Amino acid sequence: MSFDEIRERARLGRYPIRGGGARRAVPTFDDLTFLTASASRYPLEGYREHCATRTVLGAANARDPVVLEIPITIAGMSFGALSAPAKEALGRAASEVGTATTTGDGGMTPEERMSSKTLVYQCLPSRYGFNPDDLRAADAIEVVLGQGAKPGGGGMLMGQKLGPRVAAMRTLPEGIDQRSACRHPDWTGPDDLRIKIEELREATDWRVPVFVKIGATRVYHDVRLAATAGADVVVVDGMQGGTGATQDVFIEHTGIPTLAAVRLAADALADFPDVALIVSGGIRSGADVAKALALGADAVSIGMAALVALGCNDTVHDFGPASYADLGTTAGNCVACHTGGCPVGIATQSPGLQARLDPVRGAERVANYLRAITMETTMLARACGKADVHHLEPEDLVALTVEAAAMARVPLAGTEWIPGR
Amino acid sequence: MCGITALQLRDPGLRPRLGALMAAMMAQVAERGPDSAGITIYPEIAVLKGVGHPAVLATEWRLHEISGTQAVAHTRMATESAITAAHCHPFVVGDGLSLVHNGSFANHATIRRELLARGVAFDSDNDSEVAARFLAYRLDSGDDLEKALRLLCERFDGFYTLAVQTPDAFAVVRDVIACKPAIIAETPGWVAMASEYRALAVLPGIEAARVYEPEPEEVYLWTST
Repeated sequence: MSFDEIRERARLGRYPIRGGGARRAVPTFDDLTFLTASASRYPLEGYREHCATRTVLGAANARDPVVLEIPITIAGMSFGALSAPAKEALGRAASEVGTATTTGDGGMTPEERMSSKTLVYQCLPSRYGFNPDDLRAADAIEVVLGQGAKPGGGGMLMGQKLGPRVAAMRTLPEGIDQRSACRHPDWTGPDDLRIKIEELREATDWRVPVFVKIGATRVYHDVRLAATAGADVVVVDGMQGGTGATQDVFIEHTGIPTLAAVRLAADALADFPDVALIVSGGIRSGADVAKALALGADAVSIGMAALVALGCNDTVHDFGPASYADLGTTAGNCVACHTGGCPVGIATQSPGLQARLDPVRGAERVANYLRAITMETTMLARACGKADVHHLEPEDLVALTVEAAAMARVPLAGTEWIPGR
Repeated sequence: MCGITALQLRDPGLRPRLGALMAAMMAQVAERGPDSAGITIYPEIAVLKGVGHPAVLATEWRLHEISGTQAVAHTRMATESAITAAHCHPFVVGDGLSLVHNGSFANHATIRRELLARGVAFDSDNDSEVAARFLAYRLDSGDDLEKALRLLCERFDGFYTLAVQTPDAFAVVRDVIACKPAIIAETPGWVAMASEYRALAVLPGIEAARVYEPEPEEVYLWTST
């Protein structure tokens, strides 16, 4: 902890809260590189030969499985943490490229339901805004056990963002900090979870898949238990995963890097061939997507990266009224999502700030970004000789650092050495 | 990177010449696979494999003296696994299924893990063995050879021309892009497949044969007479 951070606590007498994800350096997908084809393998021609990206989730149990045109979904972010135009923009972008977006704590808004072709409805410990009508309007249900930014902790929404609409949806008083429960009210262990999942299936007439989302900590056991409890899809959110607001100590000091989590989760699902794996937390580029798929994920989810594509940390409001400067930060460094003063209209409930975000133009940027990283993903897959991005495998990767080699369990580049093997 | 030759005799009168015809065919694709070679001869399911030039091996094996009903052979230029007799094709698995492969699979490590998890055992780290074991596993599960080969096309990524023989059948299949060479010739006396036409040109009656290139992801299957 820096002297400044000590002084901050000395001044406030409490812990700091912020948005964003872990900012410390941890091993990431950047520490891996692909062994693309030359003579012993053949690459596919990028301009003529097809490389499939379609991803089907939950076909074993659900009558209407989730069908994604790309293996990249948009992660759960609440209306409340995000503005209504931001939620709408994410829904529009996801629909345009044929993927799914996800609700968050606080329920489903009509705007996001209408703009999202495939909408995953979260069932969180707080149950704020959770109701059977929206449940039946969803294309999948995601039971949230935890989140990479704060595994073991509950959701949080500062009073500044609890405007009249958000407060009404959550049946909470306006302007008062909301600290959500860290565990579900009606079940604690995997035995109860199994019953909960059956209940959700019954309520939706076995129509839609059930996801279970966990923060990456004791990944192997948690994923196995989620699968045993009946999940169609397990979502594992690594420690780089972002949030709209949580205690800084959670963001930086809990969970394991996404890189380490993928392999553990894939191992845990080895005996569950029908259960899919979605990985999130720090996914930014097509290389990240391809590496996550190679290590065993069926799809990835993005949160922060979608917000950045939408305009988060854009330089247009560096100065002037309601700028980054007012939040004591600058464009590129802002993690003040929790304050509700988001200068670009994304993480705010202020009508004036929200008006800065045009959902249609924002959606175009997010859709462009999703298309671009999908192309990057297929580019790498083709270069590895794959006609389907899901055919990437751990053997296509080597590691550039000993730490990454140990976590991803791929050889250190130029050797056949996997630490611990 | 490898040469394939396969022959199924329809005319019983040719059976005493099976080994000699296969030796002549293999000699024509030796440049494609100078490291090592192997052959399965039916109906005995005699499997011969060795390291060295295919022509030398054929002489060592006294191949020209061997008779039979059908045979499938491979001349190998190794890609990723070692040059040993154990790594030579054909991979002979299950109830006498022999597979030879030209190309390289792109997702075989994953499929190997899936098969291992289902109790399938492997003899080598060769990618082609994964295809052979996959087919044997599907046949064990009740699929016929044609269905098993279709499932292989769905599941395997990469480049492949495969020739497969069982005691009852001979089949050829290629990947969706079909860039590894293959040519088929049929006469009333025999059906043959090879990586190059020159290996078919040594066969009796080739001038009157129906010669064609197999289409991508199409299963060609001939039952034994």
